[in-house]
Amino acid sequence: MIKPRVTGLISGFALILLTALLMFSCTPQSCQEETEVLIGASFYRSGTGRIAAPDSVTVYGAGKEGSYIYKKAAGQQVIFLPPDASSDYCSFVIGINGIYDTLTFSYSTYPHLLSKECGYTFYYTTAGCTFTTNIIDTVIIRNNRVTNRNEENIRIFF
Amino acid sequence: MKRTFAFSFSILLQLFMFSASGADTIAFPLKIRAGADLFGPAYRIAGKNNISFEGLLIIDRDTSFSWVVSAGYQKYFFSQYNYEYSAKGLFFKAGTEINAISPLVSRGKYFAGAGLKYAVSFYTYEAPFISSENYWGEVNSSIGRISRAAHFIEVSPGIRTEVFKNIMIGWSVHLRLLIYSGTGRNLRPVYIPGYGNGTKSFSPGLSYYLIWSIPYKTEKINR
Repeated sequence: MIKPRVTGLISGFALILLTALLMFSCTPQSCQEETEVLIGASFYRSGTGRIAAPDSVTVYGAGKEGSYIYKKAAGQQVIFLPPDASSDYCSFVIGINGIYDTLTFSYSTYPHLLSKECGYTFYYTTAGCTFTTNIIDTVIIRNNRVTNRNEENIRIFF
Repeated sequence: MKRTFAFSFSILLQLFMFSASGADTIAFPLKIRAGADLFGPAYRIAGKNNISFEGLLIIDRDTSFSWVVSAGYQKYFFSQYNYEYSAKGLFFKAGTEINAISPLVSRGKYFAGAGLKYAVSFYTYEAPFISSENYWGEVNSSIGRISRAAHFIEVSPGIRTEVFKNIMIGWSVHLRLLIYSGTGRNLRPVYIPGYGNGTKSFSPGLSYYLIWSIPYKTEKINR
């Protein structure tokens, strides 16, 4: 006579092994993570201290005139600036309502593995930020860790 | 492989045969088993970049419970358009194994059960080529050789059967849970020898074993 408990165990094992084997279906995965690492900059009004979108925003990297990151963009309360991983500083020319300032970030760069599928990117720790004051009043560093979360890192008061 | 799958049927057959036998006690041979994982070398022969060798030693404590230790070496290489990664290292596992089949049925020849092992992998890894591109252009970099120790737990349900006297074959799946990769958040290993994908906290694996059994003691069990 067959012992039901033993056969039940064997069936259970076969099921577990089958399930585990199904997990072996080695379908290549695609990169799902955010790969861009950007400095998030929010605009604030100096007088009120409230978040406010300038009428127009133009941004490009210093020395890369004509290669715009934003060009007369309206309604931008937050802009995202790509740091230069090949250097420990980079500058951006920012035009707010047609008046231009230069914003320079200094930072340290370190590699970060996103995933096997996406590979590596570079994260940054912001050391400082200098700026001209044609329209920008103050810049505050809120979060010096620049990652692929693309969260607010600095506040620009104008 | 066909024989292993046929094992499930032979177990049922054994159950029938057992019910027909008449002795009051059965001699159960406790064994020391030494084996090797054939899946790793086969994977290599199949043209994959990875090299993997693993040997294991199973010592029966009683008719259902065994001690298991294993050791292995693995070399891994991965390359895609934006990075290259290589890792190699030794790994050691120690734990227990429980045979769910009744000793009256298994008689030291059949195994359907699970193992639970604690494992440590001593490995080195490097990324000789990293490429990242953004607004400012392409940046190429590298990560030099880093040595680390990873810790993980491995649960291994599996089946084995004796195909010749004291020679067993069988397979196990490995469900591995990473406890500590030995690295920080930024430079997690793409692959940990003995474990698998180091970016995931869970990693499955598969082994196909060839095992040589040496009986060292006989235990009488009542029917």
